[in-house]
Amino acid sequence: MKSMAKVLLLSVALGGAVLGLGRTADASHAKLKVVAPIELTAGDSAEVQAILRSADDGLPVAAAAVTFYMEASFGGIDGEVELGRAMTDENGAAILSYQPRSEGEHQIRVEYLTPGASEPEEATWSHSVAGATGQLYRSTAGVQIPGLNVWLLIALVSGVWAILLSVALRVIAIARAGTAAEAMASEAHRPTGAEAPAAASRSGSTAAR
Amino acid sequence: MEEVGTWRERLEQAALAPITKTSPMYYLWVAFLLAVIGWGVYAYSRQFQDGLIVTGMRDRISWGLYITTFVFFIGISHAGTLISAILRVSQARWRTPITRMAEFITAVALVCGALFVIIDLGRPDRVLNVVIYGRWQSPIVWDVLAITTYLTASIAYLFLPMIPDLALFRDRLAGRVSTWRTRLYDLLSVRWQGTSAQRRSMAAAITTAMILIIPIAVSVHTVVSWIFAMTLREPWNSTIFGAFFVAGAIFSGIATLIVVMAILRKVYHLEEYITEKHFVYLGYLLAAFTLIMIYGNISEYLTTGYKMAGDTEFHFRQLFLGQFAGFYWFYFVGGLVVPGLLILLPWTRNIWGVVLAALLVSAAMWVERYFIVVAGFRVPLMSYEPSTYAPTWVELSVMAAGFALFALLITLFAKVFPIIAVWEVAEDVESAEMSSSAGRLAPEPAGGGSP
Repeated sequence: MKSMAKVLLLSVALGGAVLGLGRTADASHAKLKVVAPIELTAGDSAEVQAILRSADDGLPVAAAAVTFYMEASFGGIDGEVELGRAMTDENGAAILSYQPRSEGEHQIRVEYLTPGASEPEEATWSHSVAGATGQLYRSTAGVQIPGLNVWLLIALVSGVWAILLSVALRVIAIARAGTAAEAMASEAHRPTGAEAPAAASRSGSTAAR
Repeated sequence: MEEVGTWRERLEQAALAPITKTSPMYYLWVAFLLAVIGWGVYAYSRQFQDGLIVTGMRDRISWGLYITTFVFFIGISHAGTLISAILRVSQARWRTPITRMAEFITAVALVCGALFVIIDLGRPDRVLNVVIYGRWQSPIVWDVLAITTYLTASIAYLFLPMIPDLALFRDRLAGRVSTWRTRLYDLLSVRWQGTSAQRRSMAAAITTAMILIIPIAVSVHTVVSWIFAMTLREPWNSTIFGAFFVAGAIFSGIATLIVVMAILRKVYHLEEYITEKHFVYLGYLLAAFTLIMIYGNISEYLTTGYKMAGDTEFHFRQLFLGQFAGFYWFYFVGGLVVPGLLILLPWTRNIWGVVLAALLVSAAMWVERYFIVVAGFRVPLMSYEPSTYAPTWVELSVMAAGFALFALLITLFAKVFPIIAVWEVAEDVESAEMSSSAGRLAPEPAGGGSP
């Protein structure tokens, strides 16, 4: 009688365990899939679509909350950052507007937790982001005054440097005039060439008189 | 005419003397400056190796002695602009013996000032990022543009009037100095022979440069002030910062010129050319600027204090009564009121009085930059305890090296280039001689012009 009771208890325990495991397996009654481009450029906007369908009949699951995560590192701490949440529409699609800002290989994890279930349904989307060619930040604040922009600054600075260049050209003109004067002095003193340096010296020392 | 000829010969000898004669004191002085610079380089090597942690700067007060000294040097660079360009434009003839020193102070101060910006960077190897990744909308980029333009224009403006004097050195020192100096004078004198064509070109170039350099100089210190005024910090929310900085720059520039002038006059025996008149006239300019600075202080602090918005009360307490009170009142009383009195009172209106006033102004203007920078950062941006800043031995050593470099460059300049604009002084005297009776010139040659 005691043996019968033990067998009965063991059977109940095993049955409970099987039922419990079976319930966990049954939690996966939805299928999640991500549709998005796999190659992007930093700064581009892309739509990440998470498609949620019933595992039983393949029909779209509407009005379900899907969460998007991404691996990130900040201040020396690595972890997952929640990018956002979206509700599925009548087609079972939850859409997240995504704008990558750093180049490299990235992965986004999408998660849906069936009500009453303990394990979420997951899907991942790996994509490659190319570096941006221009500046990503665009200020929208402030007052835009026509004509008051970077070109005005460039014109101003260029104007100043052009005037400085004209000063440099004057120095070249001084040097050329000096060369011509030396040639004339040399020509004038050709018979007695030894006097030339002395003549040049005199003209230099009295230059500003 | 004979007296003028003799006087001219004396003038040329006075200009040549620093190059041909070297005293043991000169070597001692250079060795001392090199030792200070060497120690500063060692201190900087520690900073380069370990980073800015060796300084007293932290996240809450991230500018200290380096930026203070940068602003100070950019300020004194206005010496050349005011004394040389503005006085040249206004045809003040008394300026001629001192223009060269003023122009050189400008170039040297800009070089030293720019160095401090790089020193302030934790990663100086990334300095080119300002050019590569700089945004036109940033006042930092405007500052880089303004300072490089001003440095180029200042070097041009220093060089142009020096050409005839370099030709004089080329001719008079040929065979008497080393080969490298002979070649240097030959190269830099750009074959100057004093022909009418050369004179016309030089006059046109100087006129262009002197007109151009004035707005550039004003823009430089205005942009430096905008780096502060365009930052969201309570003490820097000022509309008169630009004008205030430019006035302060000219003020400290005159003071530095007076100090440098007094030293070079004494060392190179230039008493005949740099007379008490030059000190007194510069003193008058200094006194005028003390009044402008006092006006600026009252205008700024009275208007903001009357409204007492935001953190103004915190700032006023730290500036006038608290941590920075000693600095502020030294600046106001010691750097504005006392120098003004020293110059305006007749019994101290002499060389020593003006030089003492200039020393006080120079020190006070550095202190003013210090409390503008550090007190500005000390006002908390959020509800945290106000931070404190104390410079470390590294910062003090590097700053001392910066001032030593400034002194060394001026010392070396005086040893290589003419410190007096010989041809300008001579032209000044000779034109005066043309309009005066013979024999009146000799007693007062350099200072004989009209103010």
